Amino acid sequence: MENYVSAVTENLPVTNVLRPTKIQQIGEHTLGITWNDGHESCYPVKVLREACECAVCVDEWSGENRIMPGTIPDDVHPIEINPVGLYGIRIDWSDGHNSGIYTFPHVRSLCSCQICS
Amino acid sequence: MSDVAHSVSEEDVLYVLRTVQDPDLHKDIVSLGFIKNLVIEGPKVSFDVELTTPACPVKEQLKQECFDKVMDLDGVLETNISMTANVRSRTVQSSISITGVKNVLAVASGKGGVGKSTASTNIALALKATGARVGLLDADIYGPSIPTMLGIEGAPERTAENKLVPKEKFGLRVMSMGFLVSDDAPVIWRGPMVHGILQQFLGQVMWNDLDYLIVDMPPGTGDAQLTLTQSAPLAGAVIITTPQDVSLIDARRGLRMFEKVNVPVLGLIENMSFFVCDSCDARHDIFRHGGGKKVSEELGIPFLGEIPIDPDIALSGDKGVPIVERAPQSASTEAYKAIASNMASRLSMASIELDLIDPEDLKLQWKTTSQQ
Repeated sequence: MENYVSAVTENLPVTNVLRPTKIQQIGEHTLGITWNDGHESCYPVKVLREACECAVCVDEWSGENRIMPGTIPDDVHPIEINPVGLYGIRIDWSDGHNSGIYTFPHVRSLCSCQICS
Repeated sequence: MSDVAHSVSEEDVLYVLRTVQDPDLHKDIVSLGFIKNLVIEGPKVSFDVELTTPACPVKEQLKQECFDKVMDLDGVLETNISMTANVRSRTVQSSISITGVKNVLAVASGKGGVGKSTASTNIALALKATGARVGLLDADIYGPSIPTMLGIEGAPERTAENKLVPKEKFGLRVMSMGFLVSDDAPVIWRGPMVHGILQQFLGQVMWNDLDYLIVDMPPGTGDAQLTLTQSAPLAGAVIITTPQDVSLIDARRGLRMFEKVNVPVLGLIENMSFFVCDSCDARHDIFRHGGGKKVSEELGIPFLGEIPIDPDIALSGDKGVPIVERAPQSASTEAYKAIASNMASRLSMASIELDLIDPEDLKLQWKTTSQQ
């Protein structure tokens, strides 16, 4: 019977995933994210809007960007930000767009601070 | 505050507020969660009504109606109502919370036919045997088999609020698509319908105070999996495989999917691991041995245990009394119990880490100067 039962002896990390610990508005056009590794990112919000990866903004088959140049207003800003599951955030934008899920790794890859770039 | 005068209670106030309907949402404002910060100080009642939009055309009417109804209550002399607004998301990805459920656990596999439902059922019963309150959600909407395994028939009841009441069997609360369709009817769902029905199972079922809700997932990595990971606060997932390569390859896919959506994978379970022969008592590795353990080492996830091929397991399931219930002393039951306790311990480790982050800290209402 001992054969059937095996205990978990490994001391493996449970979750070693990157995720934000705090999302806050820093200025009229700037979003700040603090990450669980201690890193702090600042994003001009228009950059985030332009980086939307949803099927409306990026062609699902070709990967081509489908956002028409000039269609995103300069003063675009989030209206509301909410977590999606445990892996991303969804942003309701002032231009009415809200179908994109921003995964945490994607948001982190957009950080343009000196360390990240 | 005097002992003589009738003092109004929160229930009294909420009771009358339940008769106030939001004209757009066709539901009462208490069920909609609009009432916030209810404070009762003797004869003084104050609360906020949080609407879904600040531009509500009937805001003043609603306020008046709430005011009149609360003032009508015995023992109320003063009522203060603030009308506030919290714009909620209308899109389908919004997180819904499952009220009263502490931990939602997904039991998944990369491919079908690995014994996922049998294992989910027995694991749920093994967890229950430890004294926990356990629910079982059969999310395999295409081929619901939990009703057969637990010997449950008939449609679930609905409450006055049109919520589904789970069926109870062997101390488990159970909900399945199988309760809602007849045995021989094909279950054909388009993607968006899968999403809808699962959301309903998560949000519209009266689970009530569960320590664990075990979700028996449909096989694969498709719509149902996505919906669950996007809408439910999953505490963790376990992946079931058989020892063959063909199953292990798909187990990897399943694992990758959960990794992608940051759901902690609590570990891998190897089903149909080996067979102990009745006559010679020797262990036969029918589908080779050690595959599950090897893969979990490769992928860096815990190996939660192995379940033997035992004709009794299958037979018990077919008869509607799972082996953990029917033969509590059997070796197979021991295997399930060991796995359940391994799962539970991995889970508490995972939750501690997740608890450090408050989802509220990832929510934000943007402020613009025009609003300030």
